[in-house]
Amino acid sequence: MPKYELILLKNMMQPGYTGSLQEYERAGGYQALRKVVGKVPPTEVTMAVMKSGLRGRGGAGFPTGVKWGFLPKDYQGPRYLCCNADESEPGTFKDRQLMERDPHQLLEGIVLACYAIGAESAYIYIRGELVLAAKILEQAIAEAQAAGYIGANILGTGITANVWVHRGAGAYICGEETALLESLEGKRGLPRFKPPFPATNGLYNKPTVVNNVETLANLPHIIGRGPEWFASIGSPPKSTGTRVFCVSGHVKRPGNYEVPMGVTFRELIYEHAGGMRSDKPLKAFIPGGASAPFLTSDHLDVKLDFESVAAAGSMLGSGGVTVMEEGTPMVWAALRLMEFFYHESCGKCSPCREGSSWLVQTMRRIVAKRGQMEDLETLVDLCKNIEGRTVCAFGEAEVAPIMSTLKYWRSEYVTLIQEAEAANLIRLEPTVARH
Amino acid sequence: MANQTTETVRLMIDGISISVPKGTLVIEAARQAGVMIPHFCYHPKLKPDANCRMCLVEIERVRKLQTSCSTVATEGMAVRTATTVVNDAHKSVLEFILANHPLDCPVCDQGGRCDLQDFSHQYTATSRFAETKRIFQKEYFSPLIETQMNRCVQCLRCVRYCDEVMDVKALAPIGRGTMTEIKSFGNHPLDCEFCGGCVQICPVGAITSRLSMYEYRPWMLKRADTICTFCGDGCQITVQTKDQELIEVNSAHSGGRNNGDLCARGYFGFHAASHPDRVTHPLIRRNGTLVEATWEEALLFVAEQTNRIKQAHGPQAFGGLISGRCTNEELYLFQKFMRLTIGTNNLDSSARYGHVNGVQAMRRVQGTHRWTVTFEDIVQADVLLLVGTNITEANPITGLKVKEAVKKQEATLLTIEALQPAVGTISNITNLSKQHLCVAPSQFGAAVLGLLKAVIEGDHVDPGIRQRASDYVSALSHAVRQIAWEDLAVSTGISSDSFAQMAASVVRGRRVVVLAGQILLRSQGGYGMCLNLLDLLLLSGKLTSPGCGFAPLAEENNDQGAVEMGAVAELLPGALDLTDQDSRDRMARAWKEELPLVPGGTLIEMVDRASAGIIKSLFVVGENPVGSLPSQIRAKEALSKLDLLVCQELFLTETAALAHVVLPAASAMEKAGTFTNTEGHAQAVRPAIDPVGDSRPDWEILSAFSVFLGAPLEYGEAKEILKEIRSVIPGYGSLGPSPIAPTADPSAIDRYVTEGYRHDVAIRYTLPPRAVRQEGTVQLGLVQSLFHSGKFSTHSKGLLQIEPSAFLQMNPVDAARFALGSGDRVRLSNNRGQFITTVKVLERVPEGLAWLPDHFAQEALRLFDCVIDPDTKVPSFRTATVSVLKAT
Repeated sequence: MPKYELILLKNMMQPGYTGSLQEYERAGGYQALRKVVGKVPPTEVTMAVMKSGLRGRGGAGFPTGVKWGFLPKDYQGPRYLCCNADESEPGTFKDRQLMERDPHQLLEGIVLACYAIGAESAYIYIRGELVLAAKILEQAIAEAQAAGYIGANILGTGITANVWVHRGAGAYICGEETALLESLEGKRGLPRFKPPFPATNGLYNKPTVVNNVETLANLPHIIGRGPEWFASIGSPPKSTGTRVFCVSGHVKRPGNYEVPMGVTFRELIYEHAGGMRSDKPLKAFIPGGASAPFLTSDHLDVKLDFESVAAAGSMLGSGGVTVMEEGTPMVWAALRLMEFFYHESCGKCSPCREGSSWLVQTMRRIVAKRGQMEDLETLVDLCKNIEGRTVCAFGEAEVAPIMSTLKYWRSEYVTLIQEAEAANLIRLEPTVARH
Repeated sequence: MANQTTETVRLMIDGISISVPKGTLVIEAARQAGVMIPHFCYHPKLKPDANCRMCLVEIERVRKLQTSCSTVATEGMAVRTATTVVNDAHKSVLEFILANHPLDCPVCDQGGRCDLQDFSHQYTATSRFAETKRIFQKEYFSPLIETQMNRCVQCLRCVRYCDEVMDVKALAPIGRGTMTEIKSFGNHPLDCEFCGGCVQICPVGAITSRLSMYEYRPWMLKRADTICTFCGDGCQITVQTKDQELIEVNSAHSGGRNNGDLCARGYFGFHAASHPDRVTHPLIRRNGTLVEATWEEALLFVAEQTNRIKQAHGPQAFGGLISGRCTNEELYLFQKFMRLTIGTNNLDSSARYGHVNGVQAMRRVQGTHRWTVTFEDIVQADVLLLVGTNITEANPITGLKVKEAVKKQEATLLTIEALQPAVGTISNITNLSKQHLCVAPSQFGAAVLGLLKAVIEGDHVDPGIRQRASDYVSALSHAVRQIAWEDLAVSTGISSDSFAQMAASVVRGRRVVVLAGQILLRSQGGYGMCLNLLDLLLLSGKLTSPGCGFAPLAEENNDQGAVEMGAVAELLPGALDLTDQDSRDRMARAWKEELPLVPGGTLIEMVDRASAGIIKSLFVVGENPVGSLPSQIRAKEALSKLDLLVCQELFLTETAALAHVVLPAASAMEKAGTFTNTEGHAQAVRPAIDPVGDSRPDWEILSAFSVFLGAPLEYGEAKEILKEIRSVIPGYGSLGPSPIAPTADPSAIDRYVTEGYRHDVAIRYTLPPRAVRQEGTVQLGLVQSLFHSGKFSTHSKGLLQIEPSAFLQMNPVDAARFALGSGDRVRLSNNRGQFITTVKVLERVPEGLAWLPDHFAQEALRLFDCVIDPDTKVPSFRTATVSVLKAT
């Protein structure tokens, strides 16, 4: 029996639950939709979400209700909802499970959000590789349409909310909300500079809300059981509700664990995920997806909520917790992530485009024992020159692995370089011109 | 909008306080304060993209550095661009941009005028980058544009320009991250408008022109700012030369009426002037062949023959034709030479081919011979109506103004064009239309009538005009009632609802500009259509409103000047009526000589008179009636009968080949003067190179004739002629950055609505005849190609690489009907003859029509009927019905 009450994973943990409409309804699904759509003014739905304290589950943790509130009130014309299902952050795999195993929970959340913000169209922008999830969602949408939960005139209320699935083509950057919008418009998926923000100039330049899958999946529960109930879970007032954490790496039971926000990493890793796989001590962990700086065993008692992780110098991010045991070469680990960021840098802005290629080459040299001591200074300089100077948050993300490993495990870099210098002593001797 | 008060904001930039209009970007505000913020991706013509990150600045009370190219200046903002933090940021971004750059400045065409070089120099940039540089394999890009992607800084200016300004979207970034390279959109060599915009806007040497590759270092080049000769838009070009050799043409941003934008003709067409086939020596026909002679011999020969013919047959045995490509000074001197030295009004210019239709309509209705609007009014219009313009190909830069109005200012674009909206290799203005009526050129008149009927019957007639000119309104109302909607629908394929919708859009507009293009102006009934479009503006109360007006588009660079200089039979300088006694007296006083009284013959009349043996001698300056007129006119036979045919020419054209004397003329690259563009803006023409061979500017040749004929019209330089022009037309061509458009003359409008409209209302308000298209035939239209201008551009090696020969453009449905595919040979024939050419299948051509660019279509002219407008004498020979057969 789980230690905490499951909310998002509850249905799918029931034996034999297939996620069909019938089963979802039997589990109490679509009651929230029936309760509010066409009956309660949309502004009250938004108010409820604000009161619940729900914050975005995609990475940035922005309060969802506040985001909705940014839509222009008096705008005549279409508004859009985009569900960000481009889950591509290394070490993150919760949205996939939410979509594959309980698609109607997400769809109900989408319709509720559409109703609240006045959108008649919602697009689920789903990572291209999630073929199965896309297929399941398509089927679920068809079921929900047939049952009158989605489409024109929902349950005879006169409210319209159409939902489409749009598959991405394999770019990490399309998980960035403005790049997602560009890609959805059929353009190259490059981030837009902000402002303007999507709330006013989003999809097709119309007011748009982009919410993560997990964020939206919370809505039926918030509406169904009330914002006060939701706000009492986790570590209120700033981090309410549960989160599905994706634990991976050197643990005994990698997987998704839904726990209230505010439990410690120690509890998540040692109780829920079963502890270290070979009982070696923990050396490092990434607390919130590859974009979050590494933390060390000193941080095991940090609470899993937005503020605590930020105070520890990292971020809760997407909820992907990657655990590394003692003996993991940290420079190599940072290089591995840097390779990913280099591969995925979209190339729009100079610091990220050129910086990622420079960083990755320098890191490769250091790992291959061809580094020099000056490289460490260069790495720090480059990271500082990238951070805060890019169009989107990718710049901060790509320097996180290097900056944090340099902070905690600088000696490993130094050792590699010393080995390199020892091996190359002759080559490093200055050549002297002789007559 | 000039009198609109704009809100301003005050901000501080590096301690300098400056006030700028609300909405100004910080980078622009800084520029105005004299602070240059380094940048690559920013360009005033483009929407900010903030991708290069070079323009970072510190803004007080903002945590992170901000890109000044995407930040709007706000009241009280304090910007710092020169602090250590900002300087370090600039240096670091530059270091990143230089990281993968090949540093191949020694062999780079941009070296010496490269932003990357300049900023590197400014920041004494050094790079710590010691890793492996990314290298792109060289790939063939296009015949005229070359890419060197290793030099690219990925600012995407080229891609954005191609999309935002040109609306072509031929370029795209391909690949991701450092492997991003600019390629053509699609897996094929670049196929686009070849406007050269990407070359011009590239801040580094990543996109360059193949025409001048490796031929120069920028500091070796001599510049001459002059005006392009390839259409009536009047674009400012900077011709760059090295040792009398034409190296390249470009146009400075914010320069000229074109604001630095050019088309393929302007950017890649400049080699036409330096073609080896140029006539470089005077030629005299001896024993049937043209042989080289000295200037002295040639001039003497012309003088002797002229005197002989004049004595024997009098001045009416002479005629003169001049090209609208000549300068105002030459056009003026030419008509003065014909009228005074020779003593005849038998003179005409290429404005007769269509431009006269628009000018005469404006003169008759609104009493001006120029537009009452400017390019700025097009950009600021809220409703634009284009009729028969094919603007992308005929007047590409005016087209850019229309695109800007629609894309940036959200104007409503209404089009009546023989075009289908379709995505193609070149832009298609109808893709931007709010409402488009696809009509065959022969039925443009019907469509205009449909619009008028909808305005009148939709009760949209302006109460003011209804009150002021009730007779006029009721006459037109009566006239449109005679036309049935059913007949209109049959003629045009357009329903009354569509006309009503378009009429409502026109009427709703506050700033309405109607553009009439070449296809309309050169069509049968072109004059009547222009009048009817002016009626449309009058009836809807727009004609005299600010920002509204009628704008017929000139085909040749100085067609407008030709009319204004009096280089047409019926008009004196200043476009004054030859028959008007006051005007005649004024000219006589200025010239101190009486003007010939006999009305002059126009183009076709002169050919007819030559044929009849009445005209014995023709002076032809840059015109080619034999090559341009359809065979039905029998210009060749007529001109062969002449006792004296004198041609001033660049090339041995079909007409020059018949001449008794051919005199080598200098091209516009080799002379000074002024051109007057389609909006009536006179602009300075400056020589870039010395005259080729023994050639001389046309005005010098004319002046020399007059000296040899004993009635000297002598000028030391072209400027002296301009001075005389200004004495005749006060204030003419006072050169300024933009034209001051005249306003419609209320007394002329009064005359028109009381009496002037009457005599031809019945004719103008009749549906044009409907041709029943038979099975196996198409309506063939002679059109202008984007890549050529008359026959002149067919001497340009650059343009010939894009479009080397004639081809027939046809809709896919028709092509399938005739079992034709792109590249197939096709035989076009009717009872007049036949013509064989190659097919190109294009979706933008409407079904049932086929287009033939007229630049190579000499032989095809025999297929066309020629109809002469009874009022304006404009010959129309642009459409023909032809059978289509695949040629084997």
